[in-house]
Amino acid sequence: MNTHNKITACATLVALVAAASALADGSVQSNEIRVGAYIVKYDAKADDLTGPYVPPGVNVSVKNVTTPYFAYLRRMSPHLVAQLAAGVPPKTETVGKGPATLGSVPFNGQVVSTAKWFSPSVLINYVFRDETATLRPYLGAGLNYTRFYDLKSTPAGDAANGGPTAIKLSSSIGPVLTAGLRWHIKDHWSAYASYDVARVNSYYVGETAGVQRKTHIKFNPSTLVLSIGYAF
Amino acid sequence: MKTIALRIVLLCTVAVLTACGSDTPTSTVDTDISRGTLVDNPPFRIASVDAATLGAQLGASPSGAQLLQVTGPPACGVDFNYMHYWTVNASPTGDVAASGSAALMVPTGASPNCSGPRPILLYAHGTQTDKSANLADITDPNNSEGALIAAMFAAQGYIVVAPNYVGYDTSNGRFHPYLNADAQSKDMIDALTAARKALGKVLANTTTDNGKLFITGYSQGGFVAMATHKAMQAAGQPVTASAPMSGPYALEAFGDAVFFGNVDLGSTIFTPLLTTSFQRSYGNIYATTSDVFEDAYAGSIEGLLPNAVPIDQLIGSGKLPQLQLFHDTVWATGSAQLNATLNVPANPLFALGFGPANLVKDTYRLAYIMDALANPDGAVPTQTNLLPAAAPGSTLRQAFALNDLRSWVPTSPVFMCGGENDPVVFFSVNTQVMQAFWTYVAPPASPLLVSVLDVDSAITGPDDPFLLAKGGFAQTEAAIDAAAGGGAAGLQARTQTYHTTVAPFCSAAARGFFSQF
Repeated sequence: MNTHNKITACATLVALVAAASALADGSVQSNEIRVGAYIVKYDAKADDLTGPYVPPGVNVSVKNVTTPYFAYLRRMSPHLVAQLAAGVPPKTETVGKGPATLGSVPFNGQVVSTAKWFSPSVLINYVFRDETATLRPYLGAGLNYTRFYDLKSTPAGDAANGGPTAIKLSSSIGPVLTAGLRWHIKDHWSAYASYDVARVNSYYVGETAGVQRKTHIKFNPSTLVLSIGYAF
Repeated sequence: MKTIALRIVLLCTVAVLTACGSDTPTSTVDTDISRGTLVDNPPFRIASVDAATLGAQLGASPSGAQLLQVTGPPACGVDFNYMHYWTVNASPTGDVAASGSAALMVPTGASPNCSGPRPILLYAHGTQTDKSANLADITDPNNSEGALIAAMFAAQGYIVVAPNYVGYDTSNGRFHPYLNADAQSKDMIDALTAARKALGKVLANTTTDNGKLFITGYSQGGFVAMATHKAMQAAGQPVTASAPMSGPYALEAFGDAVFFGNVDLGSTIFTPLLTTSFQRSYGNIYATTSDVFEDAYAGSIEGLLPNAVPIDQLIGSGKLPQLQLFHDTVWATGSAQLNATLNVPANPLFALGFGPANLVKDTYRLAYIMDALANPDGAVPTQTNLLPAAAPGSTLRQAFALNDLRSWVPTSPVFMCGGENDPVVFFSVNTQVMQAFWTYVAPPASPLLVSVLDVDSAITGPDDPFLLAKGGFAQTEAAIDAAAGGGAAGLQARTQTYHTTVAPFCSAAARGFFSQF
């Protein structure tokens, strides 16, 4: 993601939260913190790697991951809630997909690289039913920003790539959708379950001793979120 | 609320300012451009194959299976590393920095013959018209010479260093210094220096230099191998032994033989490579290309080779004639002897080099021959003192003499190999002249330091140390003859392939020679 896009994303985040603040109704508990678990399943689809000395059919996939979840929510009206959600950046493993070996080097199924993701989302949720209801389903939409860092090629990745390899993954901005259910437990406490889908696309560049290989990866994460919320 | 918004702004600012790059250490990049600098360390590994896989991959093609019969099954796996390094190229005002690339083939495997301290084999490749040729790229099906040295040497435990040469592949050299002994030996030595820096750093880091250095090469590479041995010996750098194969060592004698009418197969390719090399090295071969070449070719001949366009297409598009180096003029110089020298020779093989689509002008050939007669080489046309001419007048002959390898005496063993009927690089004018030079003119400290094999000679008996090389060559020649139907067609097929047929058998003999040390 280029700098212009990052700035646009950040401006959007700030504007959404500011809008939430402006609409907040002070007569009820306006703020809520949620913690829980992000259970992320990837349905990654990548183009075959291109570049010098890459045989046909060399591809990658991404292992699923679970990570702690946290979110801040701001009540805007009886049925509208602004949500800023994120997970503790998980260490995600990229796995070789394609030929069993490259030459004699094992490839298919090998963990070739690892990366951490910082992936906040901001959403506006519409919450159904009256605020006093015990069960309240909701739907939401918003934007996800994903930045990859701490990218590392594993020894298996270095062997497959032909040497120590530097990896770059471009950042991503894309839509995120959620559907969930709130169960009000008691007083300030509620439990939540939601299912999120986001569009996270990134351009991969691996550089090994001056030789570059590239691909475009669509991570297609779908996320089950289980959390406990405290309103105040 | 303002606080939250401010935090998001700060968070995003960090995100905007922070690059999303790898934290993995990668190759170090050396920006120095002095000789022997290894650019990326460790260099890039194109492929890694174990012994079984290499054997299976080679055995999958008929030519590969035939090669394995000569090399034997791989004993080691091979890592094909692709190095970039700095060397120099020649120019009329002195050396200029030039980048080069090379193959670094590292044997792998658990056997002590495949890892740990191993000998280095520095290999010089033969004439190549494809500018993009890369010996390290074992994935290229056209890289037959890379496959040969991998199977013959690397898969038998030798660390192979094989430069692609300045002017090829990614080199920024503005020309290839073809048969320029000084420039090409510097390229070889600098590739070796760079490779030694990579050993221990490459992925197969348990294979290291045991201090033994062997030098070999075929055809052009035979010349370069000998020039490199000479240069390293002069610089006091130890060479364990060398095995130049089928090379144009006695360059002036060979050039004179061709101009006298003994036109070798491939001469329409070798000639522009030579003239471009020497013109750009010394600046005095011609004032314009039209001094040497017919107008049909003169416009594009300098720098034509090597070329990204396949040689068949260059010939097909009229950039080069296929065979006709000289015109089939019926000469009337007033001297019957000179006319006989200049006219189309009776030998049908040499006569193929004459015709109306000729590359080199009659005027240039005549001037060359007049100089060769006035300042004769000591081996051609008549054997006298076996030395190059002391002061040739032709600038091309001056360049030949300058690069002629009748100019050194080895102090470590040299094994020369070739085939006596080679129609591309004549055995008698090169290998046998060098042998005679070291026998009669400048003998080394021990006659045992120089040995010669003609793979096309008769087997002397069951104890012949080269029984396998000679027998294998003879069998292959017979098979080529039979496949072409024998007779004239068989002879033509054998002649056309002779030079390349010799290569694996001489290489096997060279490997046997090196195994003594």
